[in-house]
Amino acid sequence: MKILLVEDDADTRSYVSAGLQARGHSVDESGDGNDGLLRATQHDYDVIVLDRMLPARDGMSVLRNLRSCGTHAKVLMLTALGDVDARIEGMEAGADDYLGKPFALNELIARLNAISRRGAHTHTLTCLRIGDMELDLILQRVHRGERQIHLHPREWDLLKFLALHADEVVTRAMLLEHVWGYQSSPHTNLVDTHVCRLRGKIERDFLGPRMLRTIRGEGYMLSAKRD
Amino acid sequence: MRLRPGMTARGGLLRSAAFRLAMLQALLFALIALMLFLVSWLAARHYIENQLRQAIADEAGEMASVPADHRAAAVQRALSQVPRNPFDYSVFDRHGALMVGDLLKQPRAGWSVIEQHKAGTGDTQRILVFANALDDGSMMVVGRDLESVEALDSLLKQVFSWAGLAAVVLALAGGMVTAGGYLRRVEAIAGAASRIVAGDLDARVAVTGRNDEFDRLAFALNGMLERIQMLVEGLRQVSNDIAHDLRTPLTHMRQRLEAAMDEATSVESYGKACERALADVDSVLETFAALLRIARIEARQRRAGFSQVHLSRLLEALVDDYQPLLEGEGRRFIVEIASGVRVHGDALLLTQMFANLLENALHHTPPGASVALKLHAKPQGCQVVIEDTGPGIPAAERARVLKRFVRLDAARSTPGTGLGLALVAAVADLHNIVLKLGDAEPGLRVQLDFVEQPDM
Repeated sequence: MKILLVEDDADTRSYVSAGLQARGHSVDESGDGNDGLLRATQHDYDVIVLDRMLPARDGMSVLRNLRSCGTHAKVLMLTALGDVDARIEGMEAGADDYLGKPFALNELIARLNAISRRGAHTHTLTCLRIGDMELDLILQRVHRGERQIHLHPREWDLLKFLALHADEVVTRAMLLEHVWGYQSSPHTNLVDTHVCRLRGKIERDFLGPRMLRTIRGEGYMLSAKRD
Repeated sequence: MRLRPGMTARGGLLRSAAFRLAMLQALLFALIALMLFLVSWLAARHYIENQLRQAIADEAGEMASVPADHRAAAVQRALSQVPRNPFDYSVFDRHGALMVGDLLKQPRAGWSVIEQHKAGTGDTQRILVFANALDDGSMMVVGRDLESVEALDSLLKQVFSWAGLAAVVLALAGGMVTAGGYLRRVEAIAGAASRIVAGDLDARVAVTGRNDEFDRLAFALNGMLERIQMLVEGLRQVSNDIAHDLRTPLTHMRQRLEAAMDEATSVESYGKACERALADVDSVLETFAALLRIARIEARQRRAGFSQVHLSRLLEALVDDYQPLLEGEGRRFIVEIASGVRVHGDALLLTQMFANLLENALHHTPPGASVALKLHAKPQGCQVVIEDTGPGIPAAERARVLKRFVRLDAARSTPGTGLGLALVAAVADLHNIVLKLGDAEPGLRVQLDFVEQPDM
């Protein structure tokens, strides 16, 4: 991915940049809002990581400018103001995701992966296939092989989200936000328990490979590929 | 900031607005007294003069009816009567010479006032006279001393002067007393404000119980102070809490990192130390985020951004989420949710509140315990009860556990920030929900009463 990182704190910038480059992404860095806006309009980026509080021009203003001139790059906003109102404001201005500081690098990378693929999917798809598992998005039914698997509504939402991001790591915070709609997580075991139950339904009694994997320290991944 | 001392000192009376009002009032009273005096004085004078003229005219008529040759004798007789009648008489001949009588100068015909020296004394007396030209060319004059009228006049003037003065003095004194009363109450408010400025946040404006405007002002101010004090105390509390409760995990982390530097021998042991340090940092961050969340909820304007929330559905979704967690460890989860219950509120915050209560039940009950969630519609609003058969909370601790960072000794060994119930209390307060912790015999009973608001 070609990524633009607009962040005024030099330490955070170099840390994030190094982490992204280590995972094979190409990263351009910018330290203030005006410069960031200029770069974003001159080059074609897949994803822009945009700090909300920047010198010269704040992140919200950069975002509005980008959206009004029709840039299609995905934008992930970073902020110390992680509360719901700030988040809603950011999403309404056209951000694709919002991440509160401080964050784990893995969380940022998982979210960047998720938003960079979004849009390629979802709107047009009626059916998702992962290995021998098939999700009918219109009838909300799951089959593995010839057998239908019965899921509760929440389990369906969970599986759908994992399937839309198949072969990517999905973090617990992402699941809480997108599947449950919670913005904070005192809900300690909630995600783990539900993933565990879902795993029971889609893996037990089936001979195929394990599909719903726990990635230690990061989250979960739905994948049909063998390790 | 200091309040101007002149405004609170006793000497401030003369400069107070209330005193100026009293002065104005006194002036108004004086004007009214003056007007009253003028009207009654003129009326009384007019009446008495008319009476006088009537009497004189009658007397003159009587004298004129005496035949011409007996007039001098009649005048003479009248003047020598003892006691004298109050009238003065004179008859002048056609040449204007005094024939008989005690009025020495001939006036013009008709009504007039003449002045002459009183017989025997040097005093000038004013006499109202009626001169009547008679058929034989002589002139009959009858008069009466104006002394009585003038005496009444001066008496009236005197009485009204004193009464007017008394009215002004009384008005002024009354005004001063009123002003003093008002000033004292303003001073009481200013005094309370000064004490608060000086740092005594417990200071309140005294309420007299008369339920007047000042009492209403005092109530409003006290209400405001109550809220400000709560916010300030909250802030103070948070600072203290942060100092105490974040210091502990940070200290642990420091010790662990130090120990790792001294003792770790392999990459693997360094990795372990880093992992534990990360976990410590995450717990500090989580505590910090929870604190901020509570502070933000507490600072929020009541009922701002509220909408209709389908409470039954919200709870059903939560039950779906928590059922596997609760039943996973052999607990019984009893659910009774009345359908179609709606409340006015913030769905996200309500979800968080109920989730916290269910998490509490999850963390503080042993496997095999029962947890119940009930929603009942009530005539006025609705009621949610969450009960468990765990160890419960001793009655003496129930109010305390709603505060930040309060963890009962029994719970110290389990993970948690000690902020869960504080957040529940904050959300409940924002929604005007009456939150009661009670005894489920055995276990904890949390009762939440949603009271319908009249303005909804």
